[in-house]
Amino acid sequence: MTLLSVEDLHVHFVTRGLDNRIRTARALNGVSFTVEQGEIVGLVGETGAGKSLTALAAMGLLRPPAMIPTGAIRFDGQNILALPPRELNAIRGVRMTMIVQSPLTSLDPLARVGDQLVRMQQQHSRISRAEAVKRALAVLDEVRVADPERRMRAWPHELSGGMAQRVLIAMALVNRPRLVIADEPTTGLDVTVQAQVLDTLRDLVRANGMSAIIITHDLGVVAHHCDRMAVMFAGTIVEQGRVSDVFREQRHPYTRALISATPKRIAAQGFGQVGGTPPDLYNLPGGCLYRDRCGRATELCTSAPPLIGIGPGHGVLCHHAAEIPAP
Amino acid sequence: MLILRFTLRRLLVAAPTVLGVLFITFMLVRIGHQDPVAMLAGPMADRAMLEMIRTQLGLDQPLFTQFAGYLWRLAQGDLGRSWQSNQPVLHEIIAHFPTTLELTLLSVGLGAIIGVPVGLRAAFRPNGWFDQISRVVSLLGFSVPTYWMGLMAIFIFFFLLRLAPAPMGRLSLEVIAPPTITGSLVIDSIAAGNWEALRSALAQLMLPVSCFTLIAAAPVVKQTRAVAIEILGSDYIRYARACGFSPRTVRRIVLRNAVAPVLTFIGTQLTSLLAAASLIEFIFAWGGLGHWGLNAILLGDFAAVQGYVLTLALFSVFVFLVIDLLVLLLEPRGQRR
Repeated sequence: MTLLSVEDLHVHFVTRGLDNRIRTARALNGVSFTVEQGEIVGLVGETGAGKSLTALAAMGLLRPPAMIPTGAIRFDGQNILALPPRELNAIRGVRMTMIVQSPLTSLDPLARVGDQLVRMQQQHSRISRAEAVKRALAVLDEVRVADPERRMRAWPHELSGGMAQRVLIAMALVNRPRLVIADEPTTGLDVTVQAQVLDTLRDLVRANGMSAIIITHDLGVVAHHCDRMAVMFAGTIVEQGRVSDVFREQRHPYTRALISATPKRIAAQGFGQVGGTPPDLYNLPGGCLYRDRCGRATELCTSAPPLIGIGPGHGVLCHHAAEIPAP
Repeated sequence: MLILRFTLRRLLVAAPTVLGVLFITFMLVRIGHQDPVAMLAGPMADRAMLEMIRTQLGLDQPLFTQFAGYLWRLAQGDLGRSWQSNQPVLHEIIAHFPTTLELTLLSVGLGAIIGVPVGLRAAFRPNGWFDQISRVVSLLGFSVPTYWMGLMAIFIFFFLLRLAPAPMGRLSLEVIAPPTITGSLVIDSIAAGNWEALRSALAQLMLPVSCFTLIAAAPVVKQTRAVAIEILGSDYIRYARACGFSPRTVRRIVLRNAVAPVLTFIGTQLTSLLAAASLIEFIFAWGGLGHWGLNAILLGDFAAVQGYVLTLALFSVFVFLVIDLLVLLLEPRGQRR
């Protein structure tokens, strides 16, 4: 069953420049994907590709100057884009939760960890404080926080980065959501802690039949923790499919460039790099957005690329997808 | 225990500051162009008499010897004598301080009570109509010179509209003052059950407090708005919204986090406005510490000027200590040290 579906989502930032002219940055340009019940989907791509923006839109958190000219987001049968704030607040934090990038600055500095976990529950249900404390302790234990009782009394500034990240995961899980969106949940953590935190998250999502979206730069994270993946570039999804299919086929030139730039491949084949810079969102060219950076670009690429099906659930946004041989 | 240690440490740190203030004030009044001896002796004095007075006052000694003597007497609680009134400076300060404190505390208190909610409301809807209006009004409070505002208030509310009593001190001339207990006429009147004096004292306070409140509220509005806008843009408020917290809860988190910075700012306001009170007092013939201090400066009354500045410095040390203690209790981050 489809839990979240995003269809042809466009997000524009409309601002007035110093010369008083209205400027439009086209940050998302037709993003479509779904998250099925019990599935973990990875969103990868370079900075500015629109990964976080997609997540914020799904949570209904976009505010002016961001606007959504076209697109549809359905979560659990509800149209997120048409819901009034009150009803959105009945979804956010309960049925759909988010793990943000900067754990140390995201917790309320003047509330103890325990109080924040209790507040998260009491905002969304008529649970007694004693009951909420019990659930909070249980969930801290689940995310493998040592000595939960002591941590409940800690202030956010007393936590290490890894500990704060675990607390944020506890916050995201304490109301037993259907979907968890983890926006680069491990930036700023060292590698061993990263792996532990992600393992914990994946195990808990699996054990409770939840779904998750993991946003990351790290293809290793996608390979180890996700079922399906979507590769984003300049506000579009250029390739998506099952993780094993995408890694095997790598049909989009950008996907291929990304994979060839991972450390393991560099050791084996020398340094591959994704050349060029992202296109100017204020002044997007027509046709394929990756054209200027693509080694395979032809005359054909000046027209908008079609979505070509490679296999079941595996699609690539490229004129030449069918001609590119698997590596 | 923590509080005691904190207090002691703060006082220890404050000591050199106060000493520096004493030194600078002492030297500044002496290198000024005024010669108090000539003023004291009057136009008929001859050279020998001038020298005699100079020796009597110890002004013939080297500056540093004078300063050492001043410190020595100060340590014994002797702030010297005002040449103008021939009273001990300490007595004059004790007599005048409550008057100024009453005016300043009332104005800063009212300024905070008005300024904080206005600043918050403006921050929650930046550039909305409320924000625009509050910005214009607080700009007035910032930019209109104190004396002009005082004079205009007198002109409009006393002279034209006859709403306020004559700006001639703290009590109408027809009213008998209550016996002095605290030095605040409002409190003393209530204590003595003298309702006529209370009414008169409040009526006299009306105009100076209104002017002073506007001056005090303007920066509080601006600062509160800035603090709240910064908090509203913070990661933890964005996260609170992502958690689906109700707007009320979000506002409560903003409020709680704004308390310490706003409180600290109001503390700095209190100390600087105590000094700024002198102009308002002058215009309304208030006769408080500011009025007295301003006169002392104009007349070159060394001991009185030093006493005035010392009082301001000690008051600042005290206010900052109290504010820091409050913040320490409100903020978990400070307590760890």
